[in-house]
Order: sequence, then C-alpha cells, then structure tokens
Amino acid sequence: MSIVACVKWVSHPGEPHDERFAGMSMADQSALEFALQQGELLGQPVTVITVGPAGADKVLRDALACGATRAIRIEAPTTAAGTDVATAIADHIADAEWVWCGDYSLDRGAGSVPPFIAAHLGAEQALGVIAVTLLGATVHATRRLDGGRRELLEVTAPAVVSVEGATARLRRAGLQHLRSAAAATIEVMPATTPIHRAEFMVRPYRPRARELPAPTGESPLDRLRVLTDAAAASAARGETVHLAPADAAARIVHALRDWGYRDS
Amino acid sequence: MSTPDVDVIVVGAGPAGSCAAIVAARAGLDVVLLERGPFPGSKNMYGGVVYPRILDTLIPNWWEEAPIQRWVTRRSTMLLTDTQALTIDFRSEAWGEPPYNGATAFRPDWDHWLAGHAEAAGAQVLTDTTVVGLIRDPGGAVVGVRTDRPDGDLRAKVVIACDGVNSFLAKEAGLYEHTDAKHYTLGVKETLALPKEVIDERFAVRDRHGVDIEILGCTGNVNGGGFLYTGLDTLAVGVVLKLPKLAAQKKRPEEIVAGLKQHPAIAPLVQGAELKEYSAHLIPEAGLTMMPKMTMPGMLVAGDAAALCLAAGIWLEGVNFAMASGMYAGEAVVEALQANDTSATGLAGYQRRLSDTFVLKDHRKLHRAPELVLSDRVQHLYPGMVANVAERMFRVDNPHPKPGLRRILNEERKKAGVRRRDLLRDGWTGFRSFG
Ligand SMILES: Cc1cc2nc3c(=O)[nH]c(=O)nc-3n(C[C@H](O)[C@H](O)[C@H](O)COP(=O)(O)OP(=O)(O)OC[C@H]3O[C@@H](n4cnc5c(N)ncnc54)[C@H](O)[C@@H]3O)c2cc1C
Repeated sequence: MSIVACVKWVSHPGEPHDERFAGMSMADQSALEFALQQGELLGQPVTVITVGPAGADKVLRDALACGATRAIRIEAPTTAAGTDVATAIADHIADAEWVWCGDYSLDRGAGSVPPFIAAHLGAEQALGVIAVTLLGATVHATRRLDGGRRELLEVTAPAVVSVEGATARLRRAGLQHLRSAAAATIEVMPATTPIHRAEFMVRPYRPRARELPAPTGESPLDRLRVLTDAAAASAARGETVHLAPADAAARIVHALRDWGYRDS
Repeated sequence: MSTPDVDVIVVGAGPAGSCAAIVAARAGLDVVLLERGPFPGSKNMYGGVVYPRILDTLIPNWWEEAPIQRWVTRRSTMLLTDTQALTIDFRSEAWGEPPYNGATAFRPDWDHWLAGHAEAAGAQVLTDTTVVGLIRDPGGAVVGVRTDRPDGDLRAKVVIACDGVNSFLAKEAGLYEHTDAKHYTLGVKETLALPKEVIDERFAVRDRHGVDIEILGCTGNVNGGGFLYTGLDTLAVGVVLKLPKLAAQKKRPEEIVAGLKQHPAIAPLVQGAELKEYSAHLIPEAGLTMMPKMTMPGMLVAGDAAALCLAAGIWLEGVNFAMASGMYAGEAVVEALQANDTSATGLAGYQRRLSDTFVLKDHRKLHRAPELVLSDRVQHLYPGMVANVAERMFRVDNPHPKPGLRRILNEERKKAGVRRRDLLRDGWTGFRSFG
C-alpha cells in the first residue's frame, strides 16, 4: 500500500442534518485527484480510507468510481476526535509512502488529522498546500504563508500532503466504473485503539460585536481606513510566546476564545 | 450489434421513473435508474399535494412510512377579484385517517423515498448522471442511452423515458408530432416558513391535518390559477401561468405571486412568513391535445414526459398520474421481455393499461377542462361576475327588499359583458367535463 487518499464523509454546511447532502469536501476531492494522478504516474494502485459510520461508504464508492482500487472504512462515529482518527488511519496504512488529505474538514475545520498522521508514520508533512506538481519520486508543493508570501517545498516519501479545495478538480467517474463501484467490496475494520468523542470544537470565525466610535479623519478615505482598520490589521494579531507545552496549549485556547473562535 | 448491459434503463428518478423501476426490478429484471440530480428528488418541485391511492398495491400501507407533511382534510376553491373572495370549502375527518386521501409532501423527500423502494427492489440508482441522447439500431429501435459521463453509453433491451415535462428523449425519438408553447404553463412557487401552531390556527386544522386551496382569478391579465397548501411548518403559495399570455404581458411570475400574497383574502394567511425557497417548473397542461405516441420499438414514455399530468382547474394531479403510468410501463416491459418482443407490438400492453385505467379515462373525461379553465371568460369575466352576485345576495340593502337571484345574475352578466350564449356554452362544457 503505497499511495493513500484520506477522505471524510461530511455534512453539507447548509444542510447539516440531512445525509442526502453529505459527501466529500472539495479539499478531500482535490487530495483524491492528486492521489489518482500520482498512482497513474508511478503505476501504483491507490487506496482510499475513511473513518466513520456506514453512511461514509458513499464517499468510498465515489472514490472507487473515480479510480481508487481499494477502499477501507474504519468503523467510528462522526464525532471521533481528530487525534484518534489519525491514529486509526496511521495504524492501517503503516507502509504508505504517500498520504493525501484535504487541508481541513468542513464540519470540524481544525486541520489536525494530517499532521497527526505524519507524526504517527514518521513522515514528512506538507500542509495546507495550494499548488502541487507531481514529479515521480518527489512532489513540489506550494504553501501559503502569512502576508501573501509563499513557501515552495520539495517533498519526498514517506510524506503526508494536505491540499486546499481549489488545487485540483476531481475527475468525473465513468459510467461503467460507477456501476461497478456500487457493488464493490469495502473493507470495514475496527479501530485498533479506542475512539473518543472530539471535545474541542472550533467554529468559523465570527468576531464579537463591538461598539465603534464614529471614525475620525479629514477625507472619506481616511475615515474608511480607520473604520476598516486596514492598516492595523496585521499588527494586531502577531504574538510570540515561549511557554511549556501545556501552558502554550492553554494560551492558544484562551486566544481562540478571545478572538471569537470559541464561545466558552 | 453489441449485447445489452442491462434489461431496462429508466431515465429520471421522479415518481414515474421510480415506480417503473420498482415494478421491473421486482419482476427480477436487471434495472438501472438514471437521475441527473445529486439524489432523487433534488431537482424536482411541484405545488405540494400528492394523491397516492395508486400505491396501495405497490407499497401496501404506504402511509405508515411515506414522508408526508400533512394529510389534506380541507379542500377549498377560491374565486378572487381585486377586492372580493368567494370560497367553497370542504373538510372531511375521514381524509385524516387511514387509508387517507391526499397529503402534502416535499418532492425531495417523496421522490427520494420512492427511489429507495426501487433500490430495495434491486434497481441500481445512479445519480449525477444526465442522459444526453438515445442509442438506436439501424432499424431505428432504441437500444440504449448516452450519458454525460466518460464511457457513458449504456445499452438495454428497453428504455423507459420518465424524464419529465419537455422530454428530450421523447422529442429525439420523434414521439411528439408537434410541440407548442400554448400547451404548457409555468408553475412558480414560494415556500414560506411559519410555526406549526400559527398554521394550525390560521387554517383551522390540528395535528397533521392540512389544507389545499386552489384559486382562480388571482393572476391578473395572465391566464392561470393559484394555490396555497400547508406543510407542517411551511406554506406553499404559487401560481400556474399560461406561457404565451405571460410572454405577451411581459410580467415577471414573481410579481404575480407577490400580488397573490398581498390579496386581502391571502395576506392574513401568509403574514409574517419567511421566504425559504423560490422554484419554477413547466407543466404539460394540454392533456390529450398534446400527448405523444407512448411507445416505439425499444422505448416507452411515462409521466410528464408523456404529458400525462392532469391539469384541469380544481384538479392539478401529476404525481399520481406519473406513478400510475410508471407502474404500467414497468408491467408492460416485464410482459414484453417475457415474450422477448420489444417491438411496438410487444410493448402495446402499456397503451392498453393507460386506456383501461383512470390515467387516460380521466384525461378523456376532462379533455375540455384545461382549455375552459384557462379561457379568457373563465379567467377574467366569471370571477368578478360570480363574486358580485354573491356580494349582492349577501348585502342587506334596506329599505330595498332582497332582489331575486335570477335578476342579479342577469344584471351582473350584462355588466360583465358576458353573452348569455357563451355562458350557457361554457356551463355545458363545464358540466360535461366535471359533471
Ligand atoms: C408548480 C407545479 C405545481 C404542481 N402541483 C402538483 C400537485 O400539487 N400535485 C400533483 O400531483 N402534481 C403537481 N404538479 C405536477 C407534477 O409535479 C408532475 O406531474 C410530476 O412531477 C411528474 O412526475 P414525473 O416523474 O413524470 O416527472 P418529474 O417529476 O419531472 O421527474 C423527472 C425526473 O427526471 C430527471 N431527468 C430529467 N431529464 C433527465 C435526463 N436527461 N437524465 C437523467 N435524469 C433526467 C429529473 O431530474 C427528475 O428527477 C405540479 C407541477 C408544477 C410545476
């Protein structure tokens, strides 16, 4: 098992309680497409893996229809914690050379699974990638950095690459593949370690309402600048702290709450 | 010639397609049901009331599992003028108990549920797959379909086209002699959210009981009709508009719906409701006048694709006609494949079933109704005339004595500019259609 795509069955943000709208996120679709392209380039089969309940078979069948050769589902509820998801996946793909993931899932959004998988496998990691060039033994990946900068990485196996949704467009499955995928076998396996409920949830950034004084400034442009905080935006956030891991984690949680990512 | 991939391809997982697939798959045939939407029902809309009696044999006790919103226990017909409303209101408690009569349901729920039965029967339901054309043999017989997927050709012994109104497949096969915009109406609908208790109170219903209101005289200069149905915590309000009139009046359909919602008889019912969804769809309105040939070698057409929707004033029934025709198409295909004859003769059992059942019997009986209901007199003269008669009947004009009905009728008829001859003729047509 050398090339693996990790995909998640997620609900649609607009219809969170309706399974009919659930499927693969754009980011996971991109990841699957790169895995398939790499499989073609290296002449290797592609395994697709998910952690979730029986409903998640849908995304595996979609992946099989697109050309994946093997599908594994690790039985777990949708509420499984990211660390446990990563452990469960890593245990089943210990010999993987290339692992492709979406940068973060639509429902949870923490983006923690890919780095945890990399840590378990002792693999290189290229996370939140916005462009990929497949070059046989290596992969060139472009990462987005703060302030509009870019980081160019040369990645070699074993590696975990997580990609943004717009990096690739998943191919359309052929009709005959679609038909055979519907009847294909999905290997359902238990998790090798206990799966816990995710306790720490983030949600999309929603700044708290605050009172704004009328902007001061000579010209409308000056007032607009004050109002939109345009010049000050990047300076307001930056902070480097040196703390012990536990204290650093507590500080991050505190900051997330402060910035409006968490309610309590 | 290459061998078929499957026995039967059904195109379109609407009510017609799913019922056809259920019947064929239950008979042990290898069936593929192709649907262009991401799931069955996802692309489909209608006013909101389904009459599922025809399912009694296909899915016994369907009411115990069908995804319904409310059971229709009140049916009203309203005649509106700008300032008046005359309503005939009927309610029956019996319709709120098994085996029920009509129900409001959302199409994404209803169609998804029916397609689930097709899948359970063994049909393979493939979504996100649009059929873009027919595959024909040198003799012209249909032997499969082309889809928009890579390697998208699929061959079958028979194709059942259930692709809805304006069926490209039926047209491509040449089954429609001619099509004309005047045979279609445009249906537009707003889905409005209101708390259940508010709906219960405003429409005088309880529990899962609901209301179906058909409305005439609410579409201004554009010939058509309106409807208002109750979901559990939603209302469906909309209009059905004659296409050529709509084009000639250069009116936007949403303006006409907005006008209906502002009518003094409707506004209090929809007040404070939140707009959730706006949708629009064509309706094949002309019944027998527009129906295509139902079969050709290797292919049958069912549901709206065959213009089988019954749109006749107080009746707007398409889903039950679609489900029934789908079932009959499925049965005819089973019969034809058993006899190994998919020629027009082999598939003739379909036309026979349509003719012998309510599907074509109702259409024959009501074949004058659509034209009558959408005629200028019924649309623009009669509602005002009838409402004025009612107003004068109920007005207390003391010290004047009460006038006789005949006198009022005559005066109002003249005032409306309706000739006695036309009134009698329309009355006779109406009596023959609905009587
Ligand atoms: C505004 C409005 C109000 C109505 N109100 C009512 C009502 O209250 N009660 C009632 O009984 N009827 C009503 N009708 C009529 C009713 O909606 C139709 O008669 C009924 O939906 C017909 O069912 P069908 O299965 O034939 O077609 P459809 O329901 O149109 O289903 C066709 C299916 O085929 C699919 N499809 C189409 N083309 C392709 C293709 N090329 N490839 C793959 N799939 C394809 C579509 O996505 C769809 O799922 C109303 C219609 C409208 C427009």
